[in-house]
Amino acid sequence: MAQVISIDPVTRIEGHLRIDVEVSNGVVTDAWSSGTMFRGYEMLIQGKHPWDAQQVMERICGVCPLVHGTAASYSLDSAMGVKLPNNARLIRNLALGANFIQSHILHFYHLVALDYVDVTAVLKYTGADPALKLLQANIAVLAKNNDLYPFLPRYASPDYIGEPGGPGDANLATELVGHYVQAFEMRKKAQEMLTIYYGRMPSFVGTIPGGVTTPPTLSNIAAFRSRLHDLQAWIADVYVADVKAIATMPAYSAFIKAGDSGGNFIAYGGMDENQSGSEKYFPSGVIENYKLTPSAFNNQQIAESVKYSYYNDSTEGLKPAVGKTEPQVTKSGAYSFLKAPRYNGKPMEVGPLARQLVKKDPVFMALAAALGVLTPPVKFGIIPRIGARAVETLLVALEMDKWLDQLTLGIGSDIWDPKGKQIPNSSNGMGLVEGPRGALGHWITISGGKTGNYQAVVPTTWNASPRDKSGIRGPIETSLIGIPVPDVNNPINVVRCVRSFDPCLACAVHIIHPENNSVKEFRVV
Amino acid sequence: MVTRRQFLKHAGATAALLGLSEAMIPQLAKALEQLSTSGKPPIIWIQGQNCTGCSISFLNSNYPGVAEVVLDKLSVRYHPNVMGGTGQTAIQAINDTVAAAKAGKGIYVLVVEGPIPLSENGDYCSFGLSDTKKKNLDGTSVQVPGDKTVHEWMQELVPGAAAVIANGNCASFGGIPAANASVTGSTKVSDIVAQIDPKKPMVNVGGCPSHPDWFLGTALQALIALKVLPGGKPLDLNSNLMSKTFFGQLIHENCERRAAFDAGLFLEDWNDQNPDMKLCMFKQGCKGPVTYADCPTRRWNSAVNWCVGANGPCHGCASPEFYKDLSPLYQPLPNVNFAGISPSTDVLGWVAAGATAVGVGAHYLYKQLGSKPEEAEGGEK
Repeated sequence: MAQVISIDPVTRIEGHLRIDVEVSNGVVTDAWSSGTMFRGYEMLIQGKHPWDAQQVMERICGVCPLVHGTAASYSLDSAMGVKLPNNARLIRNLALGANFIQSHILHFYHLVALDYVDVTAVLKYTGADPALKLLQANIAVLAKNNDLYPFLPRYASPDYIGEPGGPGDANLATELVGHYVQAFEMRKKAQEMLTIYYGRMPSFVGTIPGGVTTPPTLSNIAAFRSRLHDLQAWIADVYVADVKAIATMPAYSAFIKAGDSGGNFIAYGGMDENQSGSEKYFPSGVIENYKLTPSAFNNQQIAESVKYSYYNDSTEGLKPAVGKTEPQVTKSGAYSFLKAPRYNGKPMEVGPLARQLVKKDPVFMALAAALGVLTPPVKFGIIPRIGARAVETLLVALEMDKWLDQLTLGIGSDIWDPKGKQIPNSSNGMGLVEGPRGALGHWITISGGKTGNYQAVVPTTWNASPRDKSGIRGPIETSLIGIPVPDVNNPINVVRCVRSFDPCLACAVHIIHPENNSVKEFRVV
Repeated sequence: MVTRRQFLKHAGATAALLGLSEAMIPQLAKALEQLSTSGKPPIIWIQGQNCTGCSISFLNSNYPGVAEVVLDKLSVRYHPNVMGGTGQTAIQAINDTVAAAKAGKGIYVLVVEGPIPLSENGDYCSFGLSDTKKKNLDGTSVQVPGDKTVHEWMQELVPGAAAVIANGNCASFGGIPAANASVTGSTKVSDIVAQIDPKKPMVNVGGCPSHPDWFLGTALQALIALKVLPGGKPLDLNSNLMSKTFFGQLIHENCERRAAFDAGLFLEDWNDQNPDMKLCMFKQGCKGPVTYADCPTRRWNSAVNWCVGANGPCHGCASPEFYKDLSPLYQPLPNVNFAGISPSTDVLGWVAAGATAVGVGAHYLYKQLGSKPEEAEGGEK
């Protein structure tokens, strides 16, 4: 018998997310993704000084302020006709890279790992590592006090690493918990590295319209590089190794293909490799219907559907540059405050998996082949999504050395184009970047020297979008269909799948369910 | 067994690292000693119209690191970003903690990140499932539980809390979401708490985001002051309910670039800077002259840097006036008339900022004219 289960709150993500799934015979047959918070950031900077846009928009999300602030800088640059100095381009790349590192480490260890590892297995550790024995003693005190928060309570499942009868053993689980603790320090170090040029994290001042604020010096390059090298080693030896260990466990082999979002992927491209931005470290491209040869990305093909979103129907199908945010909380038939962006009419997955499939980095393609992902039927499930993120972290970290080498010191090493301060009376700008969670675009219109319209289309809006005007589900909704749920009281696999996308809701999903909206438009699927 | 001497040492280290007064060490030692027998103080950390920036900032805590805080210092019962539980298992952690407090078996401190929206019955922000409301899913005729608003959670959690801590500028003062209050009815936490129980101990931690030391230090001070732990003394709060330990001094008074301000050396062009000559950010809109926080001495991210250190202006994010009344962020403070700076006085009201800014101008003129100004009125709040 079909049964609908409601999961709220979905924790260990950013923001307020609710997932409802219909389960029949132990498998998900339908899914609804709903965020439960709305602020309307785009509305509150209208009429303000355009430079405010960057400081306000970076605060749209405390997990990804760096990418929002950077996208805002690029959109303001383009509105003001800025020619970005070489050093500014490189420092923005380095900041983006440092943010990839901190965000991806945070995601795997602090948001995802507790779905796979039994923390209480540490109590049964039999190894001799002094740090792990100390950790064991620490957890033992918590267990004695019956205070294993925040790790317990959690969903029960027979396949946690270290659980009796589960994969791996207590010693492996303890090592992973030890890495969970180390990861706090490592992601903190990546944040510190970023602040060398940007002042502080989260929320920073280091990028401005026209360039950046801190010139490269021998000492700040050295301070940056020394942290970068620590991180490179840890990512390779610990993060990538842990992901590979989990990815190849037979207990999780179903997750290699389960959790597929439908075969459409998009990357806007990011991290400019030359001054014009014509070459990028992450190329742009579009993959449709599993056809792994990407077609060219054309931003004019993006439009947002609002049929199932709490926005005025008059805003249906608008392109982001002329998009509108007009909340209508009593709209019948709507179930999400998230819009449904579509490219050429199709839902698109964005993020590390999309970027790696477009870029086809040999390191990732080798991992995908080893996992059997590319063997028909080609499906990209939970494990390849997590694997792409780990591989990408290492590749970006290694690339950053090159950008450090290219920085120019001394006279004539500009970091800022003063055109950034010359606010035109009217202009338009667009800033596209790749953030840890995927393709991000900011669009600004300047009128009367003030911010007019401002729209952000963000990664989680792509991934967690509701159904569109044709009734086609968003990527997360699609990915949930077919996910095994052997125990409806403990739907761990549903949240494993949702978390593999690294959803970040603050900037993306805005849904409300007003009480007076009891009469809804039903649709048969 | 840990000796009292070790406790004193540990407590002293923690207090010193957080920049707390040495005078607090005996209280802190007593508090930590108490924890070894009675367990860690429980925290329920909920999120309103937040961005999670203050949680991420908390993860950046340095000495004590966040792992030490979570394992040794606080019992984090509910925190949506770090907890193991999901859905009902997450809610269970709240329910068990509240039930224990009700039964007199312990206390909890409620931490709120983000303001609380009140428009449309509070439906602009919710988490967890409602016990009473129902809704339909589109495409089915199935009724599922409705959403429980964060305002409903406040009504449920505030009465039993030993204290409420509003963490970050928008929980404390409305911040950026309240700049759009006409749409969602964003309301600062202290107003909601006052409606529920005007006598509930309440403290604000400013900052967008809050500094991990500000949050942790204020939480420890609150636990001691509230006699949750013995040896308490009253919290020293300013008129905005913020700890004077962290929010007692003007950024401008302690800025490492104060000498450049006094000498009239202002950053005009980001290409002009000489790394050895740190220029004042006043002309780029620095709100340091009207913002009370210890950023210049505490610094951020393991003390690696801070906004002014990166040639950015202070945007006044710890100030109750942030963001709406400090915009435009990159324009110099108005009502300040001295050489080279003549911003239009009609930029904004600057109701709170104006008096202090006059003080800044007087100080500057004193340097220019070589005569002592009359005591700058309003120079100190």
